Amino acid sequence: MLSPHGLKLAAHIISTYFGDIVCKVCECLLRRGPLSQLEVTRFTELTKQKVTDALLVLIHHNCVQAFTIQQPGGFGEPPKIMTKYMALPDNIIHHMRFPKFLSIVSDEFGQDCAEIFEGLLQHGRLSLNQTMDRYKDKHKASGENSSATNVVHENFSKLAQARYIERCPAHEPFLEPLEEGAKKRAKSKIADATQTLEARALAAAAPMESQRFLVEADTLIGGVLDDEDSKKSSITDIVGEKRKLEAETESWETNERKEILWRVNFEEFIRRLRHKSCVSHVTERVDSVAGIVLSAIFEASRKDETRVKTEKTVPLLLETIYEEAMKTEEGRSLTLERVRAALVQLGCELPTIGIDETYSIDLKKIIYQAQAQEVESIVLKKYGREAYRIFRLLSERERRIETDKISSTTFVEKKDALKILFQLWKDDYLNLERVGNEAQKMEIMLWDLNKRSVWEQVLDDMYHAALNLKLRLVHELDHAQDLLRVLKGKSLKEGDEAAKMRKKVQDKWKVLEASFMILDDAIMLFHDF
Amino acid sequence: MRLSTSGRKHYIATEFEPSKEITGGSWYVNGDLDTTFIDQIKALCLDIIRKLKVAKVATADGVYDFFKANRLTNTECTSQQVSEILRSMVLDNMIIDVKSARLGEYHSIHVGQVCYKCPPGDLNKGPKTGALISISYRIFPRIKECTSDGLISPTTCVYYTKWLDFR
Repeated sequence: MLSPHGLKLAAHIISTYFGDIVCKVCECLLRRGPLSQLEVTRFTELTKQKVTDALLVLIHHNCVQAFTIQQPGGFGEPPKIMTKYMALPDNIIHHMRFPKFLSIVSDEFGQDCAEIFEGLLQHGRLSLNQTMDRYKDKHKASGENSSATNVVHENFSKLAQARYIERCPAHEPFLEPLEEGAKKRAKSKIADATQTLEARALAAAAPMESQRFLVEADTLIGGVLDDEDSKKSSITDIVGEKRKLEAETESWETNERKEILWRVNFEEFIRRLRHKSCVSHVTERVDSVAGIVLSAIFEASRKDETRVKTEKTVPLLLETIYEEAMKTEEGRSLTLERVRAALVQLGCELPTIGIDETYSIDLKKIIYQAQAQEVESIVLKKYGREAYRIFRLLSERERRIETDKISSTTFVEKKDALKILFQLWKDDYLNLERVGNEAQKMEIMLWDLNKRSVWEQVLDDMYHAALNLKLRLVHELDHAQDLLRVLKGKSLKEGDEAAKMRKKVQDKWKVLEASFMILDDAIMLFHDF
Repeated sequence: MRLSTSGRKHYIATEFEPSKEITGGSWYVNGDLDTTFIDQIKALCLDIIRKLKVAKVATADGVYDFFKANRLTNTECTSQQVSEILRSMVLDNMIIDVKSARLGEYHSIHVGQVCYKCPPGDLNKGPKTGALISISYRIFPRIKECTSDGLISPTTCVYYTKWLDFR
């Protein structure tokens, strides 16, 4: 669930990409949770056709997932099958990171691959044939069509092997009704019940892991599945009609020509960016060797990582880490002993027996340190140096501490410490517990960090700042376009003015975009990592 | 005046010296924190750690021994006081604390012992400025009130205009 400003940012992104009508439908789903088409029509007060078209656009661009569930009928009536739609806020926010994803692909695989990947970013979903057609269209003039098939196949396979692209999930999976016991447990926590429904829908839609990145089967008969008997509906069908209870045998999406559709696998990019963030933080906080060693661990364990927010790296032998580190230019001069020392600096404990030394890095701790650094920076700016010391003490100790102890450890006068603590408590940074002592008529105040509240506040502020940057970007562009329209077709002198104006707008755009990218790294640190 | 019962007066004959528990500890003078003395000790500790040529790390005992050997302060400074100051400097991000594994630069220090060293990078820069501060709070002090349809908005904000005003 996104915070208030996160929702506004998501709505702004949809509005920029797809227009106001699609934005209205998407915002309705973001604010109200999974809804049927009828409910969306009622809440948005749009026509049925407009809602249908908007939903199709959102599904095609991976911003909404449809699913069917069985709902109990009224008195004496049989159960009803209903299609519901749920917004995917994370995927919507990922749209603003497309330049980063493109840059990763371009750096790793080159321009041809980046071009093919860009098509998937622009269009949301494409089959291999559609990718081929797009590539051929683009390179028609240069006469490269003869080699286009090989180029596209090769690069498409590279992207799939690296898990940067995946087969699209099923467009409308059926969720089996929950058993009675599970239903009661779900009802007892309403907020969790919605989460469970959404998680179940995503899990049901996802293709099997063994098929998810498989390109070979997709290339049979030029990318078309050999299924002549199928009369299954395609993505362009009007949604919301009753579905047959017999589930489709395929667990991935196809288009009207029965070609398998592919999309960007956001999960893999977030994993890579998480690794990059951890390496950067460790390099800055410890030293460059620790960064090289951590980077080597990530490379060596890439295929074994099962989820994005993994708490620890996969345990690896010291020799494996060393061999991986040696592959890089910076790591060639390292010795085994230096690698071992770097692992200890990264928080690993040396094994007592030197046989089969395996090491695993606590990534959760590294991410927490990076997040804490961001929050401490805010505390320092807003409340001053003494508050910064107090905040760091409470953040590091992770337990309740008495006022006197805080005052003596941080060398802050008790009355000043109390003032600061109360200010932080008022702003929801800290928890306060008063412990009374009747005999001595004394009250002891215990303080600890209100981590959840602070982290949520900071993330919401980041979304707010990102939205403001986006709005300003749009404003600057609109303003420049108006001025350029006025200057168009004027005399030579005014043509120079137009050129100066364009340069000024480009410079402003670069500053705003660069600032946005830095802020987005921080947003990912708090939300995605 | 004792910290925990501050406000309560204690009376003592002039020929006696009150204990540290009554006066508030070794860092207090006349009931107030002796910030001058604390800052002096902090500066000396930082200097000692910065100037370490070979090891680049120091334990609390190592810093205390250096104090004692070179008589760096007029007032006697105990090992306990040096430890407290170093811990406070860690909270200020002036130095960082690590546990020795007796490898590399820690080869002369016992395993598990806490050591102190300067953080990497420019020591004069201070703690790292986060993204939100560098992009938002520093440039837009009234960001909390800035909304897309409010009186203060990104499109009308003078701070934005000033920030983007290239000459």
